[in-house]
Amino acid sequence: MISPELIETAAKIIFVFALTLGFFAPVLGWVERKQSAVMQDRIGANRAGVFGFTVIGLLHSLADAIKLVFKEDFTPRGAEKALHTLAPVMAVIPALIAFAVIPFGGQYTLWGHRVNLVVADLDVGLLFVFAISSISTYGVVIAGWASNNNWSLLGGLRASAQMFSYEVAMGLTVIALVMYYQSLSLVEIVAKQENFWHWGIVWHWPAFLLFFSCAIAENKRVPFDAPEAESELVAGYFTEYSGMKFVMFWAAEFIEMVTIAGMCVALFLGGHHIPFVTQAGLAEALGAFGPNGAQVAAMLIGVGVFVFKLILLLALQMAVRWTLPRFRYDQIMKLGWKMILPLSLAWISLTGAAILAGVMPRP
Amino acid sequence: MAIGIKKVDSNITLTLWERMYAPEIIRGLYITMRHFTVNLWGLALEALGRRDKRKIMTVYYPEETLTPPPAYRGRPVLVRAENGLEKCVACGLCEVACPPKCIKITGGERENGDRYPLTYELDGGRCIFCGFCEEVCPKDAIVMSAEWRELCEYGRARMVYQKEALLYPQRNLQKRINLIRSRYFGVSRYRGKA
Repeated sequence: MISPELIETAAKIIFVFALTLGFFAPVLGWVERKQSAVMQDRIGANRAGVFGFTVIGLLHSLADAIKLVFKEDFTPRGAEKALHTLAPVMAVIPALIAFAVIPFGGQYTLWGHRVNLVVADLDVGLLFVFAISSISTYGVVIAGWASNNNWSLLGGLRASAQMFSYEVAMGLTVIALVMYYQSLSLVEIVAKQENFWHWGIVWHWPAFLLFFSCAIAENKRVPFDAPEAESELVAGYFTEYSGMKFVMFWAAEFIEMVTIAGMCVALFLGGHHIPFVTQAGLAEALGAFGPNGAQVAAMLIGVGVFVFKLILLLALQMAVRWTLPRFRYDQIMKLGWKMILPLSLAWISLTGAAILAGVMPRP
Repeated sequence: MAIGIKKVDSNITLTLWERMYAPEIIRGLYITMRHFTVNLWGLALEALGRRDKRKIMTVYYPEETLTPPPAYRGRPVLVRAENGLEKCVACGLCEVACPPKCIKITGGERENGDRYPLTYELDGGRCIFCGFCEEVCPKDAIVMSAEWRELCEYGRARMVYQKEALLYPQRNLQKRINLIRSRYFGVSRYRGKA
């Protein structure tokens, strides 16, 4: 029995997959090469081409995909075969699932059918993201352990300590926001940011900085890439991976980048909202398209605005990645436990005091 | 002296502003993003045909080439004067001066008594591009050209250049000849006869 709800959910899932796996994963691979090149006064990859058309190096992602599909899938001697195969799956699946609760648009009424642009509107969406993203730690740790390789094991060890530490700090940074919005549902948090002055970044920009750095650390990207650390650990936890298994780790990193950007957009940058434009105002401005047309247009604009903010934050992550050098491992731990954690606790107390004193009006 | 711990002053004294960390990160981001925008703008201008505005120095070799400055020492060549004859008088000085001994000359004499090289053989596989031949030549007859592309061959035998392969018209080498005259003879802006 095919119900409208089923079609709606399927369409949303396909959209999320297309956005993360189909669009952002290959394009981020290209951006990583090209943006770093241009930042470092180079030109960057531009050789792969079809009949002389190189599309400024975009076809390198395609060439990479073809190369990696045909590469030998190698399992080292002495490795735990089952876990070695399972680890990349455990890294990539949570990254994809976490995106399910991030709203990529608002609520719209199309031909009498109510559409809520989020795959799963959970009441505890925020907790869900943290729960799922902590599972991806297992993928990394298991990959490090099952590879039967010293470098991998060290990488897995570092990852376990680092991701655990930063999860604590990351969870605490959003508590101030939960107090502010009085909700754990991401859909509700986004709905409360219709007014620009209620965007998370306006009052809670320190929390944004802390959350953003924690999220980068959680994703193990430079400057927090001690688990990978090419110069110390060859490639860290995925040293022994090749072919499509390697692609899974690689894709997991990029999808997690998108998820981080999505979380930041939903929590701090007002989701699909345009500054100083209310949903009612937007529908009124689009009134010329008729009641349904206005809703469809508002939906497209909302998704477009969300993707635009996503791209801004992804560009910021890329810029950070190619600007800062890697921290030493003890510096990572020091930053996590001695700086970010106390700062986030301080911000929670400040927010609480401000709310109690009535200085910070809640939406 | 007892063994003690030597304290190394690594000369790191951070100010409070630097220790606050975030401002310095933003400064670093500003620098990289400045490079990014400037280079992006240059690449956009290049696409519109303004290659000279590009700040990126990369030269894509087969498609783009650089013309080396006159001081560059490329493949040594024999100068063919404007009258079509080689300037070389087969004195053999280059043969003697050549450190890897890659030059072989057999001299001959024309009807009017001028000496000229009957054969002139330069082994490109042995040449070290030192420019001694050019320096020692009394007639400016052998000079280092700007030729640097595609000097590789599939065998050593094919790198041995005979006289015909070495002769270059003088007008293509005038800049280099002026340079070596001013450098070796101290004559600046030499305007002698060709």
